[in-house]
Amino acid sequence: MSKLSVNHLLGIRYLTSEDIKLIFETADHFKEVINRPIKKVPSLRDITIANLFFENSTRTKLSFEIAEKRLSADILNFSSSNSSVTKGETLIDTVNNILSMKVDMVVMRHPNPGAADFLSKHVDAKIVNAGDGAHEHPTQALLDAFSMREKHGDLKGKNVVIVGDILHSRVALSNIFCLKKLGANVRVCGPLTLMPKHIGSLGVEVMTDLKEALNWCDVAMMLRIQLERQDAKNFPSLREYSMLYGLDKELLDSLDKKITVMHPGPINRGVEITSDVADSKQSIILEQVENGVAIRMAVLYLLAGKN
Amino acid sequence: MNALIKSAKIIDSNSKLNGKTVDILIEKGIIIKIGSKLKNPKNIQEISFPDLHISAGWFDMRANFCDPGHEYKEDLNSGLKAAAKGGFTGVMVMPDTTPSTSTKSGIEYIINKTKANIVDAYPAGSLSHNCEGKEIAEMYDMHTAGAIAFTDNKKSVSKSSLLNKALLYSQSFKGLIINFPNDKELNNNGQINEGVVSTELGLKGIPALAEELIVSRDIFLAEYCNSKIHLSNITTKKSVELIKAAKKKGINITADVNSYHLLLDETELLNFDNHYKVNPPLRTKGDIKALIAGLKDGTIDAICSDHTPEDIENKQCEFDHAAFGMINLQTSFSAANTAINGKMELVDYIAKITSSPREILGLEQIEIKEGTKANLTLFSPNEKWSLKKEEIISKSKNTPFIDKELTGKVYGIINNNQLV
Repeated sequence: MSKLSVNHLLGIRYLTSEDIKLIFETADHFKEVINRPIKKVPSLRDITIANLFFENSTRTKLSFEIAEKRLSADILNFSSSNSSVTKGETLIDTVNNILSMKVDMVVMRHPNPGAADFLSKHVDAKIVNAGDGAHEHPTQALLDAFSMREKHGDLKGKNVVIVGDILHSRVALSNIFCLKKLGANVRVCGPLTLMPKHIGSLGVEVMTDLKEALNWCDVAMMLRIQLERQDAKNFPSLREYSMLYGLDKELLDSLDKKITVMHPGPINRGVEITSDVADSKQSIILEQVENGVAIRMAVLYLLAGKN
Repeated sequence: MNALIKSAKIIDSNSKLNGKTVDILIEKGIIIKIGSKLKNPKNIQEISFPDLHISAGWFDMRANFCDPGHEYKEDLNSGLKAAAKGGFTGVMVMPDTTPSTSTKSGIEYIINKTKANIVDAYPAGSLSHNCEGKEIAEMYDMHTAGAIAFTDNKKSVSKSSLLNKALLYSQSFKGLIINFPNDKELNNNGQINEGVVSTELGLKGIPALAEELIVSRDIFLAEYCNSKIHLSNITTKKSVELIKAAKKKGINITADVNSYHLLLDETELLNFDNHYKVNPPLRTKGDIKALIAGLKDGTIDAICSDHTPEDIENKQCEFDHAAFGMINLQTSFSAANTAINGKMELVDYIAKITSSPREILGLEQIEIKEGTKANLTLFSPNEKWSLKKEEIISKSKNTPFIDKELTGKVYGIINNNQLV
C-alpha cells in the first residue's frame, strides 16, 4: 500500500489530493470492517495513543476513542479540566511528560490555531489534529467529503455550499481546503459579520442569500453557530439568525432539486436547521458520524505505518 | 582612541565629500585629517575592511530595552552593546517599561545608567501617565530632565481628546509627540495581518484599517492643533498615501517604518513561526512596495529597528500566547539594505538612519569633517553575512534572521572617543 506524504495530520492544507484519496480507500476498507460481527482488528496493537483534549468535545473524542479501540491501540485520555495545565504548565511540558510514558501518537484538540503544528515541531510523536482553534479540523473535513462521495460519487464539479459561522469555524476552513483539492465548487453563505474578509482568496464565492445558495448547490453543509466563540455579537439574536439563515422543511421543499443536507454536529435544533430537516431523508447527518470512525481509523492506521 | 581609517567611501548627503574614497585620521576621538593616502607617522592603529563605507553614526528611533522591569530580557547595558554591534551610535529608548518612564526620575535613571557608553542613549518619556492612556504625563518636567520625545509607544493613544491635549500642551516647550496608529477596537486582539494568510491559518486578523483610521485621525488632530506629530510603525499602502497627502497639504507630520517591514511579508507566517509575530503585523508585498516608494519620495522619514526582546517562554508557545516583537538592532541595517539596495540611492536611505531621525528629534547633526568629534559608522552595503545564534549580543534571542543571508554588513562604530 502507498503511503501518506506527511508524518502528522495537522490539517488538510498539508495534504495532497493523493493523500486524501488514499485515506478514503483505507476508510472504505475500515467501514467494511466495522460492519462485521467482530469489529476489532489488531492493526495498532502495541501502539499507545494519547487523546489530549484541551477543549470540550464529545463526539470527536468518542469517535477517536472508538476508532483507536477498533484498531486495538492502547489509549490514554487526558483533558485540560483535570490536568496541570490549569497550574500554568506549558503545552510542551505537559505533552513531553505524557510522552515520557512512551506514547507513540497524540490526538490533540486545542483552542489555539497552530497548536498541533507547534507540537509537531517540538515533540517526538505523530500528531493528529482534532481541531485547533479556528484553524483546522482535518478528520471532520475528511469524513464530510467521504460521506459526500458515498452519496454523490466523484466530487469533481459538484457544488457544495457551507452555511453559517465561517469566521469561527475550523470545520469550514478544512472543508474548503478538502473540497477544493477534490475538485468541487465551493461557496460560503452567511451574514458578512461571520465571514473572514479575505475568504475569497481561498477560491470560494461568498453569498448572502440562503435560498439562492441552496438552489445552486448539490450539498448544503449547515454549520453550528458557535456561541462560545463569539467575542462580540455578530448578529442580533438567534431568532433573527434562523430567520435569515436557518433551513426549515418549507425552504427545503421549495428548492428546484433535492439537495443533500449535512451538519458536523452538535446541532442547535431550530437554529441552523429544524428537526424535520435534520431527520429527513435528505439529511446524511448520522452517516457522517458512522463514517467519522472509519476515517479516523484510516488516518491513525496510515500514520502509524509511517516511519 | 586613535585610528587611521584607510580607503573609506563617505556616504553623507550633507557633506561635500559624499561618494569620495578617503583616509580619515582620528586622534583622541577627534577627526584630525581627511585626505587621500594619509601617512601614519605615529604608528596609529590602522583600520581597513573590504568595501569599506563610512557615514555619520547611525541613529535608531525605537529601541525597547525592558529596563527597568524585565532586565532578564534586556537591560540598558546589553541593549546598547547590541546597538553598537548593529552600527548605531545613538538610540531613543522607549518608555513603556515596568514601571514606565513617566517622571523625571525615570528619565534620569536612563541618562545616568548609560553615561560614558559608546552609544548615546536618549530617553523618550511617556505621553500619558504610566502609559495608561488616561491623562497627560509631566512632559515638561521630563523634557527638562532630558526626554527628547513623548510617546506611549505600542500602547497607541486611543482617546482622541488625550492626544489632542498632548499635541497642544507640548507646544509650550516644543516637545515632540509620537503616536503609533492602531485602533484597538478594530485590532481586537488580532495576531497577524488580516488577509490571505490569516484566513488560511484561522488566526485573528489585524486589518490595515486599524492603522489607517488612526493615521487619518492623527493627521486631523495635528492640523487642528497646528502641531507637529510623528507617526511610528507605518506598514500599509494607504497609510503612506494619507501621510503623503498630509505632507503635501503642509501639515507638520513625519513618519517612520521598521526595517523588517521593508523585507518581510505575511507569507513568512504560513507555518506559524511566531518569530515573525510582530506588532504592527507583517503586511503584503504590495504594502512593502508602497513603503519603499514612500521612503524614496520622502513620505517616510526614518527607518527603525523596533528592537523588542522577548524571552524563550514568551516565544516557544502556542501562537496566540506568544509575545509580539523581534530583536533587530544587530540586523536592522542589513534587513533594510537587503530590501532597498538597488531600489534607492544608498546615501538617501542612510539619511533615514542618520540625519533624518536626528532632525525629527531636534538633535545636533553629525558632520564628517576635520576638527569635529568622530561619530561614525563603518559598514559595507554589499558584503553578505548571516547572523549566527552565538553572535547575538542581546539577552534575548527572538529573531527570525538566524542563519538567513542578508546583504550589508556593519564593521564597527566610533563615538565618544571609543571604538567597537
